[in-house]
Amino acid sequence: MISKLVKEFQKREVESTTRRHFIRDCVSGMGTAAFGAMMLSSCGSSSSGSPQLSARDLNPLAPQSPHFAPKAKRVIYLHMAGAPSQLELFDYKPELQKLHNQPCPESFLEGKKFAFIRGVPNMLGPQANFKQRGESGAWVSDNLPHFAGLADEVSFLKAVHTEQFNHGPAQLFMHTGNARLGRPSVGSWVTYGLGSENNNLPGFVVLTSGGKTPDAGKSVWGSGFLPSVYQGVQCRSKGDPVLYIQDPKGMDRSLKANVIEAINDVNQQEFMEYGDPEILARINQYEMAYRMQIEVPEVMNIDDEPKYIHELYGTEPGRESFANNCLLARKLVEKGVRFVQLYDWGWDSHGTGQSTAIDYGFRNKCREMDRPMSALLLDLKQRGLLEETLVVWGGEFGRTPMQENREGKKMAFLGRDHHTEAFTMWMAGGGIAKGVSHGQTDEVGYAGVEGRTSVHDIHATILHVLGYDHERFTYNFQGRPFRLTDVGGNVIKKILA
Amino acid sequence: MASYWGRVQNQVMRIIYSILLIFAVGLGYYFWTGQDNPVDYSTQVKPIINKHCISCHGGVKKNGGFSLLFQEEAMADTKSGHPAIVPGDPENSPMIQRLKETDPELRMPYQKPPLTKQEIRILEDWIRQGAQWGEHWAYIPPIEPSVPDEIAEARAGSASSDFFVNEIDRFIYRDMESVGLKPSPRADTGRLVRRLYLDLIGLPPTTEVVDQIKNGSLSYEKVIDQLLDDPNFGEKWASWWLDLARYADTKGYEKDQSRAMWRFRDYVIQSFNQDKPFDEFTIEQLAGDLMDNPTREQLIATAFHRNTMSNDEGGTDDEEYRIASVIDRVNTTFEVWQSTTYACVQCHAHTYDPFKHEEYYEVMAFFNNSRDEDTADNEPLLRIYPDTIAASIEELKHWMIQNTNSPSRVEDEMQFIRTLEPKIHTHLCTDFVNGELSDTKYLALRHKGHCALNNTYLNNAETMVISYSCWKEGGRMTIRESNQEGKVITSFPLKKTNGNAIEFIPIAPMQDSVDLFIEFTNPLLDAQENSFRVYWFAFRPGLPGQSQPEFDKMNRKYREIIQSKPEGVSVMVENPPYMHRVTQVFEKGNWMVLGDTVLPDVPEVLNPFPENAPRNRLGLAQWLVDERNPLTARTVVNRIWQQIFGQGLVTTVEDLGSQSEPSVHSELLDWLAVRLMKTHDWHLKPLIRDIVRSGTYRQSSIISERKRETDPQNLYYSRGPRFRLSAEQIRDQALAVSGLLSDKQYGPSVMPPQPDGIWQTVYSGESWRTSPGEDRYRRGIYTFIKRTSPYPSFVSFDAGSREICITERTRTNTPLQALVTLNDPVYTEAAIAWASRLIHERASLEAILAQAYYEATFREISLGKKEALVKLYDESLAHFEGNHTGVKEYLKIGPDGITGVNNHIELAALSVVCSAIMNLDEFLTKT
Repeated sequence: MISKLVKEFQKREVESTTRRHFIRDCVSGMGTAAFGAMMLSSCGSSSSGSPQLSARDLNPLAPQSPHFAPKAKRVIYLHMAGAPSQLELFDYKPELQKLHNQPCPESFLEGKKFAFIRGVPNMLGPQANFKQRGESGAWVSDNLPHFAGLADEVSFLKAVHTEQFNHGPAQLFMHTGNARLGRPSVGSWVTYGLGSENNNLPGFVVLTSGGKTPDAGKSVWGSGFLPSVYQGVQCRSKGDPVLYIQDPKGMDRSLKANVIEAINDVNQQEFMEYGDPEILARINQYEMAYRMQIEVPEVMNIDDEPKYIHELYGTEPGRESFANNCLLARKLVEKGVRFVQLYDWGWDSHGTGQSTAIDYGFRNKCREMDRPMSALLLDLKQRGLLEETLVVWGGEFGRTPMQENREGKKMAFLGRDHHTEAFTMWMAGGGIAKGVSHGQTDEVGYAGVEGRTSVHDIHATILHVLGYDHERFTYNFQGRPFRLTDVGGNVIKKILA
Repeated sequence: MASYWGRVQNQVMRIIYSILLIFAVGLGYYFWTGQDNPVDYSTQVKPIINKHCISCHGGVKKNGGFSLLFQEEAMADTKSGHPAIVPGDPENSPMIQRLKETDPELRMPYQKPPLTKQEIRILEDWIRQGAQWGEHWAYIPPIEPSVPDEIAEARAGSASSDFFVNEIDRFIYRDMESVGLKPSPRADTGRLVRRLYLDLIGLPPTTEVVDQIKNGSLSYEKVIDQLLDDPNFGEKWASWWLDLARYADTKGYEKDQSRAMWRFRDYVIQSFNQDKPFDEFTIEQLAGDLMDNPTREQLIATAFHRNTMSNDEGGTDDEEYRIASVIDRVNTTFEVWQSTTYACVQCHAHTYDPFKHEEYYEVMAFFNNSRDEDTADNEPLLRIYPDTIAASIEELKHWMIQNTNSPSRVEDEMQFIRTLEPKIHTHLCTDFVNGELSDTKYLALRHKGHCALNNTYLNNAETMVISYSCWKEGGRMTIRESNQEGKVITSFPLKKTNGNAIEFIPIAPMQDSVDLFIEFTNPLLDAQENSFRVYWFAFRPGLPGQSQPEFDKMNRKYREIIQSKPEGVSVMVENPPYMHRVTQVFEKGNWMVLGDTVLPDVPEVLNPFPENAPRNRLGLAQWLVDERNPLTARTVVNRIWQQIFGQGLVTTVEDLGSQSEPSVHSELLDWLAVRLMKTHDWHLKPLIRDIVRSGTYRQSSIISERKRETDPQNLYYSRGPRFRLSAEQIRDQALAVSGLLSDKQYGPSVMPPQPDGIWQTVYSGESWRTSPGEDRYRRGIYTFIKRTSPYPSFVSFDAGSREICITERTRTNTPLQALVTLNDPVYTEAAIAWASRLIHERASLEAILAQAYYEATFREISLGKKEALVKLYDESLAHFEGNHTGVKEYLKIGPDGITGVNNHIELAALSVVCSAIMNLDEFLTKT
């Protein structure tokens, strides 16, 4: 009954333009010579107008086409919150080793501000062994033995830079294109643009690990000025996977089905009397909620995955871990979720203690990340999903080639401070070239000297492979069009397939 | 094009349209295109320019050296050396030539579709008639338009006779008539009264009130008056204002720790309840601290602009975030009072509206001299002293008045007692040796460490007040003039403290400002060991009356007052002259690149700054509520209308500038704006009364096929408002209908139940502790708002996180909302509480369900709806019968202390039906 009503509305929507446009078009033609009595009479009378119901009115996540043919249909974004050191992972700097323990040259410090470094710190040589990997010869350190084997699958961006040297603002900048609160996240933009292919799951899912949520809080997956339906939905490993997804205790699925049926039955009668299309949309949402209650717990359950998959990822059901989240990311994109955002907390290697030492706690974090991250790429590939899934990896900034000297003191452990000038990110999958390394830093890895890449460039590139021209992809708010890339951003053509 | 449409609506539709219909079409056509028809810049030319030209020729870009933003730019020489517009001569105006050009490389707009002949014709006529510049309508103060005459009422016929109640209806009728619409009949009484209650107090009515109105013993007008006087009125309307004021209970950003701002929330509720005139409300919030002898409430009001976020993350630059707050204050002030997107002007001249880049910084200069410096303790704080200390303060004040002939000296000391300002934060210390800003904020020196605190105004102070904490004995701090060899100003042992402490240190009087050299020694410390943090210094003159016998006692009292740790609320305090900040333009909006120095001023295009008004925040506030200000009254009227009808009279409630959606109702907007200022003296309650009394408001919201086709968005108001309730209203209504709602008002924010594990913010030891007792059933306005993690069910229903000023909540319709009202224990609990009350009715099942439906919607249940609910009841009963565990588990979600219900199976089944009723569209919607 309802689906019939809905279909009818959609059909009529397509058949004619809105009444408002119609009147406007009529009237703006009034001054022209073509103007005539016929025109006026058709403006003044009720012609075959239609209720303004688009697919998006009934379902704000209804899929839509982008500007041009996309290379990727969905995104998995792995964010290492706290900012991992590029100098112990991808940016190999033998010269820095030579300067190890020597005072930092003044030129690096003049006019610069660091979060914690004060006075003149010493340089800190790479605390990892590097090798060139695969045919591409990309440098990957021994901290990532599994990922090293996949170096030819990805494109490295070696000279990314940002504007913010504190976690909160830098994470906001990396995910919303602006360091202040209030803008939509990249996942929200993508979901707003493309909608979702699966009505029974949220279009934009967020998974966190490392024991904490990102420093900037939920705003990094917020929808800003976009409608809230486009914000990321945090799916949790503990408690309800989505808030309020469980029926109240004592109720079961069939009773819930009865409840929804009764609500929608009454709502239908209400629609017959009031004729408000919003009622139809609500009927639709209640049906969707019911289906979501079944599908979300299903997709969030990894118990039934085969043993070899658990071995591949290193997953343990029931835990909140990056490994579990990588496996969930694969399951979610397989089900048609548009944007899966992973945050893994605990990468802030200042060396204030053993757990944040670059030669200790950092290596443990690498171990936790290496296998599942590699497994995710392999698993996507073996399922044929990688070619239409964009995978992005990175932190919110990089780490200094200098050793941190918090409060001007020598510290007990080796650590690096926040660094905005240069760090490494990588992308892989749909639309992205394989085995490319773009950009280069100077001899000590302090600043990019070639192929520098801004945060807006990254966003422009993500939107590009999804079929959007980032300059035309806008949303009007407070009287002006906003875009994810603000007034900047260039697609990084070098890494496109 | 959109603007063009509005012009036609206003002028052509209304006049020519009817002429055309009455006379002949050809005649009308002659009038319309007649050469003598003067072209109006604002309504005809500017919309074309904004649509096709301004993005390349104005604001940021001035391609070819040509800009159409300001008159002087538009008429000036372009890169070609000649002006693009030659007034009186369109044929020789390069602008027109380029529009008509056939070479695609030359034709404008470049690489875009050409303008229509009609558009070019308008531009030609405009230039031919002299290219007169004009002002956007909203920048001209409203003049009271005449109310459309009564003839329309007669024309409307008897079917619409109950539509006409007040002037609003005559305006609205005229506008809907122009598109051939007729008013809807009155809404049925039950729904209308529910609508009225939800709009005025945010809660549903009781069945008793509805019955009284239905039987005629209570009039609709009387109910309006009762509701305007109801203490719940302020709680409803505060939501709107707190969105604008970006009020929250935490600071925002990474650590996002708590900050007690709830006294500001209470101030807003009380102000609405008192019907404080909007001009007064404005002045108190923007400049309460600068008023004469401000009351505590007026000082708390200034927390409006202390709702800005602050960043405590290690390593952040306090000055950067202080400036971010100041910028937020400028932007928010213009959004809240002027419906102007002033934020654009931070980086460049406004792209569409006539605001210049430096004008942004002239406004910023009003806000750039408050004492706040993005410190972790949210200073300045108004200290809310307990009564005992307040009595001591009165005594001290009295004593000071007796012992000095300088009232300003007394006031200065009273300000210090109120706020501990002016103080000097130690994040200003520099040139550290063997020391550091600890946690990047506080002065910390190791053994033999030193640092500088330059240009410190001592002005012969006798006492240094120091706020610090120290955890090792044996330290000594010495403060000298200028350097290591300089004169010793003071030297004192830095005693171990129990947490934070305030001490009073005598110092050698020094004139004016001095560069302080601060040394510390403690031979007991290890080389890298810190033993203390200093948070701030204040340099104070001694109390007067030093020769009096009571001096020691009073001085002791004074110190106890200062050393006490009362609660505080962040407020505005202005810099004393010696701390005055100079304001400079930020080139391209970058605070590190400073340009010309500017003085406080207001944008030229708006009303002049009032004569005799001070050039500070107080003067700015007076300027905003000056009757000559074209935007303030229109803004308030538009937004109050939006609260009631779900959309503004101008639909872009955030922007009345030249990019705003042109309104068919601009005359009504102006009429109400003038009425607000002149007749209602800025009181909002009479304005709201005008609106809800109107026949327009009282219409049924049923959407006929024809109305849905003609006016799907109800822009012509030919039917009543119908839209989903707000996040707070949905929860409040569920609690109210179930009988759980607490009527407790005011006080610290509360934490109703929310799922575990929602708060996971880094570096914050704070947690969500469910409030005990009635606090878990308080109205939504009192719910604690953590910016990085707001109350989740409110987020689902589009309440914001209060990080920035929000002029309009988007209204979405999502499955996650359904999950909240279906599954959140708050709603299940309410359903069970409600059912347990209904079940006592001892009536038949059908009667109970009819009663439930009536209590929720104030309508008699129809047969079809009753059937659906009875069916659900039977299904629930079948589910629970023989399912003892299920019944027990389900009812356990209900409130404690349900008594007197024998049949728990029936209670559970009825609860399920009540929960379904709470999910009906007609329950979630204002109908």
